[in-house]
Amino acid sequence: MSDTYGLIRYAQTKHLAFTEVAEGLEDGKFHFSAKDNLCADGFQARAGSAVLDGYSPPFDATCIGRMKGSGGQLVGKTTMDEFGFGTFSTNSAHGVPLNPFDRERSCGGSSGGAGAAACLIPGHIALGVSTGGSISGPASFCGVVGLTPTYGRVSRYGLIDYGNSLDKVGLLSRSASLVARHFRTMAGPDPKDPTSCAQPALAGKGRMPSSLAVPREALQNLDPSVRSSFQEALGKLKGMGMEVHEVSMGSLRFALPAYYILATSEASTNLARYCGMRFGRREEKFDQHFNDFFTGVRSEGFGDEAKRRILLGTFCRMVGFRSRYYLKSLAVRQLLIEEYRKVFRDHDAVVTPTMPFVSPRFEEIGRMKPLEMYGADVLTVPPNLTGMPHISVPCAYVAGLPVGMQMVADHWKELDLLEAASAWENVFEYRFPEVSL
Amino acid sequence: MERETIARVAKVARLNLTEEEMERYANDLDDILNSFSVLDEAPAGESYSFNPIPVIDVLREDEPAQDIDPQALKAQMGTYEGYVRGPRLS
Repeated sequence: MSDTYGLIRYAQTKHLAFTEVAEGLEDGKFHFSAKDNLCADGFQARAGSAVLDGYSPPFDATCIGRMKGSGGQLVGKTTMDEFGFGTFSTNSAHGVPLNPFDRERSCGGSSGGAGAAACLIPGHIALGVSTGGSISGPASFCGVVGLTPTYGRVSRYGLIDYGNSLDKVGLLSRSASLVARHFRTMAGPDPKDPTSCAQPALAGKGRMPSSLAVPREALQNLDPSVRSSFQEALGKLKGMGMEVHEVSMGSLRFALPAYYILATSEASTNLARYCGMRFGRREEKFDQHFNDFFTGVRSEGFGDEAKRRILLGTFCRMVGFRSRYYLKSLAVRQLLIEEYRKVFRDHDAVVTPTMPFVSPRFEEIGRMKPLEMYGADVLTVPPNLTGMPHISVPCAYVAGLPVGMQMVADHWKELDLLEAASAWENVFEYRFPEVSL
Repeated sequence: MERETIARVAKVARLNLTEEEMERYANDLDDILNSFSVLDEAPAGESYSFNPIPVIDVLREDEPAQDIDPQALKAQMGTYEGYVRGPRLS
């Protein structure tokens, strides 16, 4: 057993990072994993949901096909919140991943398994998916680099939808250079996903950001340790020659509700397809009326948070509420895009902490109300809602736990973020847990 | 949120809820929607799009093509004599 394969098995058994792994490593190939909502031939794709138990797609998602085509071996599928519905990866039917730095804490969500795999396995590239922060969050809690590209940069063909105007396929790894290399592999138009076909070509090289904006609204309600770590990181960025300016982005306060309304509205329609006939869990009581048939499967197959989001999204789309919630949220998204654009006239990137606190213990998460959990996404939601590319890098360690810093750039400027993340690695040394096999 | 409202939403969403779930989700949705009422303070906005970036139509040539073998898709479903099985409609 190679060390790398040993680490993959370790990540699976000790940290529940994987739902399934390959039987071994193939010579001459690089290893990558995929979040379990990405379809891949030869593996189940269950998206963390019992309603998809047994579903084995007969095709590869475009991003997986491209990774394989460039010499990669898909070595496993990573654990996640059901359909991406969560901030801590605790809403999963197939195991809750345990943080690489402390097994009693969360990996973040919803790409929690991907965060753990990226942290525990050197040289590994983990494909994640973000709707409202599901790459940045795990990158922050697991102390790795997490890139969420512009909406539409990487094809969503073969991705099990959560919110189709919000979902982005991205990457997590220990280093920005590895993320940059494989981002180029996956990016580009794909006729099977029209939203990927309007993108400009990737430039040869990114431009190092020289002026950073820090929205003062994003610095409220932070854990004091995160706040002081972030202030210290800003000092290092200044030391790298970057200008740092405080700005005001008043519309940020509308981002969280607008995001949750759009995401759950889209999810409530996307999940209509899980009815016991076409994918996964199969109902056999064909003598029932179709309404009872579908309702029975869905009620048994969906978990608690999935039901909550389906109900919320269904409510927000109902006659009488649609204008107040759904249409208003679409307008707010446009407002936020314009506000970001205004900031980008004078600055190259917006920088904030990634999460308002370090990874919490599972017992603390168990005491949180749904609204508190949604509130944890307050810093990752704005770039996700607006489709802006963003990257999270470790910027400090508090009591041995990583703190993440997030940079957001204008649409299509991922390479600028990767330049900054690479330069950051020259001034800040990342730490990873020691593993003995 | 009224019990009748949450019951109606659950019916539209094709979900059976127990009495306990009905009460719990009604309370959760109340909390969430009260908090989201901050949206009422947002300017109405003159335009919006269903995607955060411009999207263009992509059409392929109108020629027969098959990406995935239908038999491979059928293998995921319950079938009877080559037909996909489903519940009765009335």
